[in-house]
Amino acid sequence: MEEKRHINIQYDKELQDVKDSLIYLGALTEKAVVQGIDALLNRDTELARQVIANDKLIDRLDTELEEKCIRLLALRQPAARDLRFITTAIKINGHLERIGDMAANIAEKAIILNQEPFLKPYVDLPRMAEVAQGMIKESLDAFINEDVALAHKVRKDDEIIDHLNEQIFRELLTFMMEDPHTIHRSLIISQISKLLERVSDHAEGIADMVIYMVTGEIVRHKPTSAENG
Amino acid sequence: MKIRLFHKFFFAFLTVGILVVTVAGFLIERELKKDRTMRIGEETAAQTRIIALMPIREIARQAGKLSERTGARLTLIDAAGWVTADSELGGRETDNHLNRPEIQEALLKGMGKAVRYSFSLKKDMIYVAVPLKEGSQTVGYIRLSRPLTEIALATYGMGKTLFAIILAIVGVSLTIALLFSLRMLSPIRRLAAFAGQVRTGNISGILRIDSRDEIGQLAESINDMVSALGEKIRTAEAERRKLESVFSGMRAGVIVLDAENRIESVNSGMEKMTGRQHRDVIGKTLLEAFRNSKLHDVLEGFREREETASEEIVFGDHQPVTMDVTISAIRGQTGAEQKTMLVFHDVTRLKKLERIRTDFVANVTHEIRTPLTSIIGFMETLQQGEIDDPGKTLEFLRTIHENAERLNRLVDDLLILTGIELGETNFHPERLTIEDALGRSLTIVAERIAEKKLKLIEEVSHDLPPIRADRDQLIQIFLNLLDNAVKFTPEGGTITVTASPGAEQELIVRIADTGVGIAKIDIPRLGERFYRADKARSRDLGGTGLGLSIVKHLMNVHQGRMVIESAMGRGTTVSLYFPLSEAMP
Repeated sequence: MEEKRHINIQYDKELQDVKDSLIYLGALTEKAVVQGIDALLNRDTELARQVIANDKLIDRLDTELEEKCIRLLALRQPAARDLRFITTAIKINGHLERIGDMAANIAEKAIILNQEPFLKPYVDLPRMAEVAQGMIKESLDAFINEDVALAHKVRKDDEIIDHLNEQIFRELLTFMMEDPHTIHRSLIISQISKLLERVSDHAEGIADMVIYMVTGEIVRHKPTSAENG
Repeated sequence: MKIRLFHKFFFAFLTVGILVVTVAGFLIERELKKDRTMRIGEETAAQTRIIALMPIREIARQAGKLSERTGARLTLIDAAGWVTADSELGGRETDNHLNRPEIQEALLKGMGKAVRYSFSLKKDMIYVAVPLKEGSQTVGYIRLSRPLTEIALATYGMGKTLFAIILAIVGVSLTIALLFSLRMLSPIRRLAAFAGQVRTGNISGILRIDSRDEIGQLAESINDMVSALGEKIRTAEAERRKLESVFSGMRAGVIVLDAENRIESVNSGMEKMTGRQHRDVIGKTLLEAFRNSKLHDVLEGFREREETASEEIVFGDHQPVTMDVTISAIRGQTGAEQKTMLVFHDVTRLKKLERIRTDFVANVTHEIRTPLTSIIGFMETLQQGEIDDPGKTLEFLRTIHENAERLNRLVDDLLILTGIELGETNFHPERLTIEDALGRSLTIVAERIAEKKLKLIEEVSHDLPPIRADRDQLIQIFLNLLDNAVKFTPEGGTITVTASPGAEQELIVRIADTGVGIAKIDIPRLGERFYRADKARSRDLGGTGLGLSIVKHLMNVHQGRMVIESAMGRGTTVSLYFPLSEAMP
């Protein structure tokens, strides 16, 4: 939006407001995921509760932002680039809200795990969380800077997540087979892994929309290289 | 510039010249015409009078000859106005001439003159008429007339002369205009060039125009203006440089937002604090640049209340930096767009120190109270009659003694620590080998290692260079670390002690265990007094919470450093780096 300006300054302000609101929501969900994972890795129940409480704010902002976008569509009847921007904003908004929900879910699972003894040192899960966090961060960076190359990288990173998810599942399977007492905890960890996998899918969704916003091309159902989105 | 000025001069001269010549020519021509007409009139009148002396019949007979001699047309008119003879018309009939002005005038005054266009000859003509008298009676009129073509010819000649004069004037004005414009232009062009040079920012030098006229005065004024301007610019520039070096040199981070809330400038302090480059953030909103929701909230709060806001915010997730941000408005001239300034101070260290202090007080109190409570409790029980039971008395006394011992240890450790911190501990460095001190320490903990059925792996090279250290303090360091390793490693675990030369004149001693490990977030805080990674367990194991703190400080005394790596459930490795100074006695 930077280089092209409208004659109507108010319209520009409204578009910037949508962009800023989206980044604000992005900042909150990014933090929620980081804190959800921290709560799990550091067994911090207090932090987990905080993440769950913060999700209400994310939900509220999601609704507000969607209303803002719809109002813009109705009143300004944007065309071309602006139309793509607003539709992108609506879809990214949806992705972010879902990521927020998942962060809250991870926090809930962390609380359950914290009440039980430590199953095993996490190796792949922190790595997976790191990649997923990186994807959210980079997808938002791509959105802010309209960076298509970065968006493509995010799409590619999803493969790493899928791979780690499988690896964690196989490892947990051996745990469960060895000792039935670990089944409950293993299942929860498996769910967390699945949640992270979905978080990364949403990050990929954001990256897809960034590509659409900048180039107008819909890449959602096109393969990155082997895996689909 | 040149062309225009020249044109102006040229056309001005040309117009004035032509105007003067034309008006003068017109006036002269008129005078000339009048004069000629008069002279021709007089000449004709004289001829007419002479002819009038002849008898009428003679005149009529000799009309052709007379006309030829005088070069004029001769007309003889009778008293009734009818033409009786005409040198040019012959016998053709004409209308009555009695009403012609020259005849009327001749009738009244004795001679008449008139200039008019002759329809019969189709020419401008001058007519002179004189009455012919016989006695006192008018019997007719004689009229001479000649065309005025000679006058037109004369005027034509004069027109030619005038045209030549106008051409000359054009030439002269061209030359004068050229000379004038060149003469005036030269200083003006220098003025213009000088002004241009000043405009591009080169305000040095002065304008030299050796002229006392208005242009000279103008040059003088411009010189004064430029020197005053130069002085002002130099002052402003110096002021700007000063502010700029303050802006970029200050450690605090500064961001300036323009009226549209976009980042206008960022100083290097801010770049260092956030690791974001200047070009990555300029022109973006705060959210776009830093994506920090709290920072946005603070800015929004500032906008709502319109007063300076100050708040603590945290940047970054993995290595959080706490910053104190102050937002204030930059008040410009009224009506100017309002800018916003954000000043950031890194208070991470301050916050940490603050936390350490409060934690320390809380910890000391707690550490002292726990053994005290149990001492007092058992004493009271004894006082209340249990003293009569010798078996229990002994047991209680043992517990009291244990707790008193623990208090003693605590006080000892605190004293050591305070001593090191105040530099009061006697530091007696000597040349010694690590192997020796390590051996002594291992002997002391050997019994406890055996008790817990731990496996000890010792990988100490025998040819390690000697280091400069205080023997007792070195043993204290190793003991504290080995003590921790034994404490936190479950039965059947392994403790590995290695000593090897490292890169860059260093000696590295590593004490690794396969114990419970330490959470990542606790590691940076381990050197703090009373900081325990796992509070309950550590205290149960009889620690004072000061062990690592003492090691950290002693390593500082030895100019070495301690690095702790750990993974939950996998164990901990403590690495000690001792410097190998080459200039050892």
